Amino acid sequence: MKPITANFRSKAAQTLNNAQIQESIEHVYTGFFKGRLTAASDTPEWEDLRTKGKAIKDHTIAHLDYYLDLLATNVEKNGGSVFFADDAEEARQHIIDLAHKRDIKTVIKSKSMVSEEMGLEKAMNAEGFETVETDLGEYIIQLANETPYHLIAPAVHKSREDVAKLLDDDFKEGDRVPDATELTMMARKKLRGVFERADMSVTGVNFAVAESGSIALVTNEGNGRMSTTVPRVHVAVMGMEKIVPSIQDLSTMLRILIRSATGQRISTYVTMVNEARKSDEEEGPEEFHLVIMNNGRQNLLEDPQMRESLNCIRCGACLNACPVYRKVGGHAYGWVYPGPIGAIVSPVLTGVKDASNLPSASSLCGACHDACPVKINIPRMLLELRWRTAEGSTDKSERASSAKERGVWKMWRMGMMGRKRFDMGARLAGLALRPLSRNGWLKKAPPPISGWTSTRDFPSISSGSLRSKLSKRLGRSK
Amino acid sequence: MVDQLAPSVGESTVEVLEHLGVNVHFLNDQTCCGQPAFNSGFRSEAHPVAARFIELFEKTDGPIVVPSGSCAAMVRNYYVDLFRGDADLLRRAALVGDRVFELTEFISKYFGTSAISGELNASATYHKCCHLLREIGINEEPLDMLSNISGLEMTPLERADVCCGFGGAFSVKMPDISSAILDEKLDFIEATGASTVIAGDTGCVYQMQGGLRRRDSSVKVIHIAEALAKSIRNSSSTGASN
Amino acid sequence: MADRAKFISIVTTGLGRDQIVAPSADSATAGFDDAAVAKANADSAMADANSRSTELADQMATMADTNGWKVHRTSNPEDAADLVAKICEEKNAKSVLRSTHEVLNQIGVDTAVANTGASLGITQHDGDNSAELVDASKSAAFTADIGITGVDYAIAETGTVVLHPRSGLSRLVSLAPPTHIAVLRPGEVLDSLDELFAMERNDFMSGNLAGSMNLISGPSKTADIEGTTVTGIHGPLEVHLIILGEA
Repeated sequence: MKPITANFRSKAAQTLNNAQIQESIEHVYTGFFKGRLTAASDTPEWEDLRTKGKAIKDHTIAHLDYYLDLLATNVEKNGGSVFFADDAEEARQHIIDLAHKRDIKTVIKSKSMVSEEMGLEKAMNAEGFETVETDLGEYIIQLANETPYHLIAPAVHKSREDVAKLLDDDFKEGDRVPDATELTMMARKKLRGVFERADMSVTGVNFAVAESGSIALVTNEGNGRMSTTVPRVHVAVMGMEKIVPSIQDLSTMLRILIRSATGQRISTYVTMVNEARKSDEEEGPEEFHLVIMNNGRQNLLEDPQMRESLNCIRCGACLNACPVYRKVGGHAYGWVYPGPIGAIVSPVLTGVKDASNLPSASSLCGACHDACPVKINIPRMLLELRWRTAEGSTDKSERASSAKERGVWKMWRMGMMGRKRFDMGARLAGLALRPLSRNGWLKKAPPPISGWTSTRDFPSISSGSLRSKLSKRLGRSK
Repeated sequence: MVDQLAPSVGESTVEVLEHLGVNVHFLNDQTCCGQPAFNSGFRSEAHPVAARFIELFEKTDGPIVVPSGSCAAMVRNYYVDLFRGDADLLRRAALVGDRVFELTEFISKYFGTSAISGELNASATYHKCCHLLREIGINEEPLDMLSNISGLEMTPLERADVCCGFGGAFSVKMPDISSAILDEKLDFIEATGASTVIAGDTGCVYQMQGGLRRRDSSVKVIHIAEALAKSIRNSSSTGASN
Repeated sequence: MADRAKFISIVTTGLGRDQIVAPSADSATAGFDDAAVAKANADSAMADANSRSTELADQMATMADTNGWKVHRTSNPEDAADLVAKICEEKNAKSVLRSTHEVLNQIGVDTAVANTGASLGITQHDGDNSAELVDASKSAAFTADIGITGVDYAIAETGTVVLHPRSGLSRLVSLAPPTHIAVLRPGEVLDSLDELFAMERNDFMSGNLAGSMNLISGPSKTADIEGTTVTGIHGPLEVHLIILGEA
């Protein structure tokens, strides 16, 4: 997928004005966000689990080379194959080549954001492999020729009518819209045959266990289980950071992932694959392939200010908590990862200048930090990226601030460096604003605050500063 | 912001503190903690302003009280990033930061949430400003404080802990998104039926008041310092006991 | 071109080092407990499962019910077989598949199913894994009306049935048919995920790790359409848990 974060403002504006999408996105708050809060309060040891989860991820990333090596060794010991992909193109090509070599006709995909980085489904279909998304939300998105809207619920922005148009071959505008159960059963029927004939699957990885060479998949639908059962060839794709050291770590990580994602105590299915089928098993894949991808993650790793973002376990809690995401929706972010986590990783993975809008698209409310099961301090990193985009990056091409903006802050600083000039600045501002105001408020302010008054009244400068008022009250102070 | 746009917040703060018996000083030379430039990424501009803040305040003793969760958070939680690499400034900033308190934090910590009783006849609802809640850790304490004011009918605000959309420069740089978030907040405010909104940060107060005015709403938004000060004045003028 | 050593060396450099440094034993995770510790944890998990088997079965019943399992309890194996037969009749089952879990023999499931007129297949090939047989059993699973298994473990914390696919226990028998029946015996319920992974870790440390593992905590479900939860998207629409033992 090519990043198009430069369209953030216009895509955001479209979504803000779309009443149906606004109504649909509410579900991430009333469902997922509230679900997480309830699950957390039902779990007495919740804060301890978060602390433990953060410790596991901090430790793993701090020794990522060791654990990658261990993981690869163990996958191969169990008879699997490991492919290390520097970038998304390499990963994609490897999977396509494998499919050709193995004479694959039908590929089923289970949900994987890493596969979105590769644009895998489209590429495989273009190569002539029947490639079908099997997670219901991803299937709907595939039929709609769109990209996922959310990490956990890819089609959260679609109304039932939207889905009917895509899933129900008999549906016409004006018909009664089938209910969710009817639509789901249609999807079940359509995908059933695909499962039966699939000869290759591509799944994601929620956690790869280094000590045993295993992968764990968290699903509710059963498509993850189908994908690790029916085809001859199972390919699992992962970002290089999705490792935990030990089997025992899974109990902590599964608890915090699932409760944070949907509020469930556990997902309907958790599948652990330690190897492809054993020699006496009657079914199961014949081959297991693990594709481990870098695709720019080294930039996050080698950056001490940004490294913590690699702790992310892709639960989506930050999206659900974010007042900005809940208004602008997933597509505005322009690339694979929406929401607060997207706002910090996309710029680094795809190029800071292109994505400079994203770290600014935040009120810095901190709800994401609160929500994160592994306590990633997203606001700190948003501020770090803002600094780099404004002035801090040593790479000039990464800086995106305008001369006007730099000028505004220069003047601001000059005005703040002494009380006399501070008061003078205020006096001048007052002279400019008071004629435009009535009863102490402006309906229309000049730039740079004209944006405010497009939707809100703006307060005028007070007739007497605090200092002058307090000097009367407190006498001449220091 | 308080100094030039809302001096009554500052005056109210002094009034409330003096009512509690605190000896209040105001540094005339103070200007800003540097947060606006820092949040916009212009650390080179924020740095000297923040360093000046440290220079001014380190010459003083005792608690530094500020009627703003976001300013307190800047000094306590973010100077460490702004002064990165400068061991001396970091050390001095830490010393000053240890003395900085947001107003309701200061009152609840040193005097308790029942320390102020007063009188204010109004129906009100309370918005939890983000930095006060998540950076400073003050959640229900202001509500406890407000519950001691007689005549004040508090209605809980649904989604009180969801941002109002201010976010400093964000409100001006991305006004459509800021306003969409604000609209949701204002809908919940209007649903309470309250005539007054009380909040702890002036930026948020203006975001909400500006939006309510634009809706031709008569709902007033006031800073909690103003609410507390008014209630103290009312009870002393009616002779009610403190 | 991707190359394992080169890929990993990029990571090493990114961490500010020039060679891989193994983590120390006092690190954050459990990855350094040795085989003896792993065995002790597993033994204690099993001992707990046995000594509190009734209490854990009760918790399992409650959690499973919350998760959407249809829970039945009986102390009588014959009643268990009758329950299976009843479900077959309710579902108008023509073809039934089962695993080779011992409990299914103990309750006499074969006779019970046969009496309903449904055909019964067992997911075992006795070593014959020719492509034709593998395909035939796949089709059988996709056309079966009901799949019946025992459990390898259950987890009280989460209302979960744990299965380790192996010869005699296919992955599909609990996945493809629209109805799945799982029969649980006393002493099979572990307290929580901690105990389960303690068992798994011990299996791993002693060289006995199963090829794969499925945790099943209810009927298949999705909320991808307007946030409305619907059961039975790809996996079973209905899951029954028959708990044997004193209620």
